[in-house]
Amino acid sequence: MSTPSNSHPSSPTTSPTSPCVDSTSSPTTPAPPPPTITATTTTEAATTSSPTKAQAALESLTSLLPTPVSSLSPTSPPPPAFLLLTSPEISSQISTLLRQPSSGSGDNHLCRWLYDTFHSSDPSLQLIVLRFIPLISGLYLTRVTQHHHRQPLAGFEAILLALYAHETTARNNQPITVTVPDLSHPSIYHESSSPQRNNSTDLNIAVISHSLEPHGTVRSTRRARIVGVALELFFSKIWIMPLESKLDFCEFLEQWSGHQKDGDNNDEDKSGDDEEGKILLPWELLGPCLRILGHCLLGGDTEKEVLLHEKAFRACKSLYYRAMHDVNPKAILAAGSLLKLVKMEKDSKVDEVDYTEIRSSRVISI
Amino acid sequence: MPGSQSSDHEEETGEREFRANGNSMKTAEVEAKLDEGNIQEAESSLREGLSLNFEEARALLGRLEYQRGNVEGALRVFEGIDLQAAIQRFQPPLGDKTSKRGRSRTESMHSVPQHSANLVLEAIYLKAKSLQKLGRLTEAAGECKSVLDAVEKIFQNGIPDLQVDGRLQETVRQAVELLPELLKQAGSHDEAIATYRRALLSQWSLDNDCCARIQKNFAVFLLYSGVEAAAPSLSVQIDGSYIPRNNLEEAILLLMILIRKYALGKIKWDPSVMEHLTFALSLCSQTSVLARQLEEVMPGTFNRIDRWIALALCHSGALENKEALNLLRKALHDNERPNDLMALLLAAKICSEDPLLAAEGVSYARRALTITSEEHFKGVALRVLGLCLGKQAKVSSSDYERSSLQLEALKSLEEAINFEFNNPDLLLELAVQYAEHRNVHAALRYAKQFIDATGGSILKGWRLLALILSSQKRYSEAQVVIDAALDETAKWEQGPLLRMKAKLKIFQSLPMDAIETYRYLLALVQAQRKSFGPVKANHQVDDDKVNEFEVWLGLANLYSNLSHWKDVEVCLEKALSLRQFSAATLHTEGNICIILLGAMYEGQGLAKEALAAYANAVLLDPNYVPCKILLGALLLKMGPQALPVARNVLSDALRLEPTNRNAWYYLGMVHRDDGRNGDAAECFQAASMLEESEPIESFSSVL
Repeated sequence: MSTPSNSHPSSPTTSPTSPCVDSTSSPTTPAPPPPTITATTTTEAATTSSPTKAQAALESLTSLLPTPVSSLSPTSPPPPAFLLLTSPEISSQISTLLRQPSSGSGDNHLCRWLYDTFHSSDPSLQLIVLRFIPLISGLYLTRVTQHHHRQPLAGFEAILLALYAHETTARNNQPITVTVPDLSHPSIYHESSSPQRNNSTDLNIAVISHSLEPHGTVRSTRRARIVGVALELFFSKIWIMPLESKLDFCEFLEQWSGHQKDGDNNDEDKSGDDEEGKILLPWELLGPCLRILGHCLLGGDTEKEVLLHEKAFRACKSLYYRAMHDVNPKAILAAGSLLKLVKMEKDSKVDEVDYTEIRSSRVISI
Repeated sequence: MPGSQSSDHEEETGEREFRANGNSMKTAEVEAKLDEGNIQEAESSLREGLSLNFEEARALLGRLEYQRGNVEGALRVFEGIDLQAAIQRFQPPLGDKTSKRGRSRTESMHSVPQHSANLVLEAIYLKAKSLQKLGRLTEAAGECKSVLDAVEKIFQNGIPDLQVDGRLQETVRQAVELLPELLKQAGSHDEAIATYRRALLSQWSLDNDCCARIQKNFAVFLLYSGVEAAAPSLSVQIDGSYIPRNNLEEAILLLMILIRKYALGKIKWDPSVMEHLTFALSLCSQTSVLARQLEEVMPGTFNRIDRWIALALCHSGALENKEALNLLRKALHDNERPNDLMALLLAAKICSEDPLLAAEGVSYARRALTITSEEHFKGVALRVLGLCLGKQAKVSSSDYERSSLQLEALKSLEEAINFEFNNPDLLLELAVQYAEHRNVHAALRYAKQFIDATGGSILKGWRLLALILSSQKRYSEAQVVIDAALDETAKWEQGPLLRMKAKLKIFQSLPMDAIETYRYLLALVQAQRKSFGPVKANHQVDDDKVNEFEVWLGLANLYSNLSHWKDVEVCLEKALSLRQFSAATLHTEGNICIILLGAMYEGQGLAKEALAAYANAVLLDPNYVPCKILLGALLLKMGPQALPVARNVLSDALRLEPTNRNAWYYLGMVHRDDGRNGDAAECFQAASMLEESEPIESFSSVL
C-alpha cells in the first residue's frame, strides 16, 4: 500500500511538460488527455532520430553516470540514439543506478532523465526508455509491497505514468480487440463450405486491453493496469530490444510468480523465502507478461540466445506453478502450452527435417 | 527428362555420375579438376562429354560442388553464369502478355524450353542455399526471391500441373518455403510477413504438407516475433470474407485452418499446433472457443483424460463451471485418473463456490491433500478444503454439524497459512471467516495483512476492513478507511465505496450526508454517461464502471430507511428502467427490487401488497435471508394466526444465517406474542449480544 504522499510523483510535476492531470476532483468533467504528448505510434528505426536531440540526451545522461563513457565521440559513426540503445557500457551503468535502493525517488536525476527523454517525442529516444521498462516495472512492483523497507517510488511512477499517458492518447478511447475467426465464414486463407454468411454477427470479439482512462497519479487499484500498459508498449517494440532488457524481465517475472525453487529440488528449509517478491498477478498485468514471455521462449533464435531461453524457461515454470497454485485456468492453459511447446521444440531438434534442402543424389542430371 | 526417373532405383552407394542427353559420365575426373581450381577445364570436359551448353554445364557443376558440401566452390561456379539473362530468354515477350491470356496454356508453354528453365531456376536456388550456408542472408534472400519472381514471369498463367515435371515443382516449393525463413534470419521482418502472405495467397500449387508447414511457421512468427504485421493489402481481400486485422487474429485463423485440415484428413497431426492455439486463445480469454477446437479434434489424437482436463480448464476459464465440473468428474472417476492433482484442485475450487456442491468439494480437496508431497500444493489443498467446509456449513441442517464444520474450515485455512503466509486470497478468506465468527481481533489482523500484501490494490480489502470496524460501531474509523480507499481508486470504480460511505452516514444518523453522497454518485453516473455513452450491455467492461442500477437501488433503500415512500418509488422506477431481468439476474437483483417494493407497500400501510411482494421474493430465492426476515416481521404484525408461519420463516432465516441480529429479535417477538417468555428472553439476549458486532452489510458481501 502506498500512502498518498508517496504515490504522487513530486519532482516531474514541476517539469514544464508535465502530463500530470488530476482526474479525481470533479466527477462531471473527465480530465482531458494530457495535452503535451503527440501520439507517435510508428517508430522509425533508431537511426533516423534527430541527431541534435539525441546528442543532447546523451550528453545530459553522461553527466549522471558515475564513469565516463569511453566510446563517446560526437562524430563517431553510430548515431547517438542508436548508441544509447545498444551500448552495453551505458546500459549497465543505468541498470546499476536503477537498482540502487533510493533510485525510484521523485528527485532522482536518472528518473528525471528517463522521464524527459520519453517526453522528447522522438520515437528512437523513446525506445531507450522502453528498454528499461522491465527493470523499472520489476523494481517498482516488488518494492511497492515491501513494507519493511519502504522506498520512495515517485520517480518510477512518473516514468510509468508518462508511458501510460502516451498510450492513452494513442488509443483514443478505443480498446484493443481481437475478432476471433470462425471458419464457417470464408477468409483470405480459406473458403467456407457452408453457404450461410451472416456477417460478423456471431463472431466473438475479445478485448485484449481495455480503453484507457487518463490517470494523473498511480492509485493503488490502478497500479497493475498502468504497469501492464507499460509492458504492452514494451512488447510492441520487443523485436528491437536488446537481450539484457528481456533478461531483466524474466528475472522479475520469476520473482513475481513466487517459486524460485527448482521443481525437483526438495529443500524444505525456509518455505517462506520464495514468497519474497511475489506479487498479485491480475490479468491486466499477466496478459502482457505472457506475451513477452512467449517472445522470449519462442520468438528468437534459441541457439543464439541460450541464456535468455534458460531464464525464460525458469520464469515460465514458476508462472505455471503459480497458476496452479491460484487455480487460475486461463493462466494454467497459457503457461502450460508454452512449457509444452518448448519441450516439443527440444525433442524435434533431434530428427528435424530441413525441407528446403535438396535431395542428394548419385546421378546429377539436367 | 531422360535419366531422372531411373536414377532413383539405382543403388545409392555407387560412384557419382553426370547424365544428360542420353550420355553419362563419372564425376571423379571433373571433381579432380575442380579441386585444382580449374573450373573452366571442368566445364569444358563436361560440355564435350555430354554435349551441353555453357549454362547447363555450369548448373551441373554447381550442383556437384553443392552436394559435395563445397558451398564456396558452388558459388564460384554459379557466379560464372549470367542467370538473369538466362531468365530473360525464357520469358514470353512483353507484347505477348495480353494476347496470350486467351490462349490455351499448352500453346504458350511450347515456346519455353522446359528443362533449361528448370535447370537455371535450380541453379539460382542452389546459389541462394550456398549463400545462406555462408551466412550471407540478405544476398541469399535476394537470389531466392529472384527464383520466385522468375517463375511468376515465365509461367504467367500459373504452373501447369500436367506438363511440368516434379523437379521444377520441387524447386518452386523449396524457394517458397525458404524465402520467408531467410528474410526472418536476415532481420527483414516486414518483408518476411509479406513473403509468407505471398506464399499462401499466390498459386504455387503447393502440396498440403508444405502449405501446412508455411501456415504454421507464419502463425508462430506472428505470435511470438513481436513484429506487428500491417494488415493484408486490399488486393487479396474478397468481399464478405474474414480479413485478419492484427497478428493474433491472423495467427488464430491460420492455426484453426490447420486443425480443420487435420480433421479432414488432409495433413498429419502436429501437436504443437494445438498448443500454439491454446496460447493464443488463452491470451484473448477465449477459452470457450478453444474448447470447441479441442472438441473438433478427432478422437484418438489426445489421451482422453488429458483432453477432459484440458476441456475442463477451458470451460472453467470461460466461467462455465458446470460443464467443467462434469468433465472433471469423468476424469477423476476411479477407473480413470482419480489422483490427478490439477483436476482435484480445480474440481474442489469449483465446488467451493456453491454450497450444494461443497461436500463433494471437500472430498476432492482431502484427496488432493493426501496425494501431494509438495509443500506449496499442500497449502492450496488446505485452502480449498477450508473454503468448501465453510460453504458446506452454510447449508448444514443441524447446529452441531454447522459449528463443527465452521471450526474445521477455520482450522484448514489456518493450517494453509502456515504453508503460504503471505497468500493474499487466503488472508482475505481468513478475515471474512473470522469476521463471520465475530472474532473481530483476528479478522482485523488478517484484513490489514491483506491490504499490506496487495499494496492496497484490491477494493475488497478496504471494504472488509471498513465493515469490520463498523461491526464494532467504530464508524468514524470506518469512514477514514473508506476515504483512504477512495484516494486509491479511479473515479469509475468508486461506486461500491461511496454506497458504503452513505450507509455509514445513515448508521451515524446523518441522513442528509448520506443523501449528499448519493448526489455525488449520481453526478458520477452522469459524467460516465458523457464519456462512454450509455453503458453497453457488454459484460467484459462492466466491472470498472459505476453501476447505475445499484446506485438507484441504494438510494431507494436509503429513502425507505427514512420512510420517504414517494422517493423510494421514483428511485425504484429509475432502477427498473435500466434492467431487463433475465432468469439469471432475477433472483439476485430482481429480488432486491421486489423487497424494496414490499417495504414501500408496508410503509404505506398496504400490508397485503407487501405480503405478496415478499412471498414472491421468497419463491424466487428461498435462501435470501433479508427477505425472510421482512416477511417474518410483517407476519408478526398480522395477528396470532400468522405467528406459526412467522416462526417458521424466521427459524429458517436463522438456519441460513445464525448471526443475524434481526432474525433473533423478531423470533423473540414471535415467542413473546405466543406467550413463550423464556424462549423470547433467550432470543432477545442473542439479538442484543449480536447487535454489538453487527456490520453495516454482511461480511460475505465483499467476496
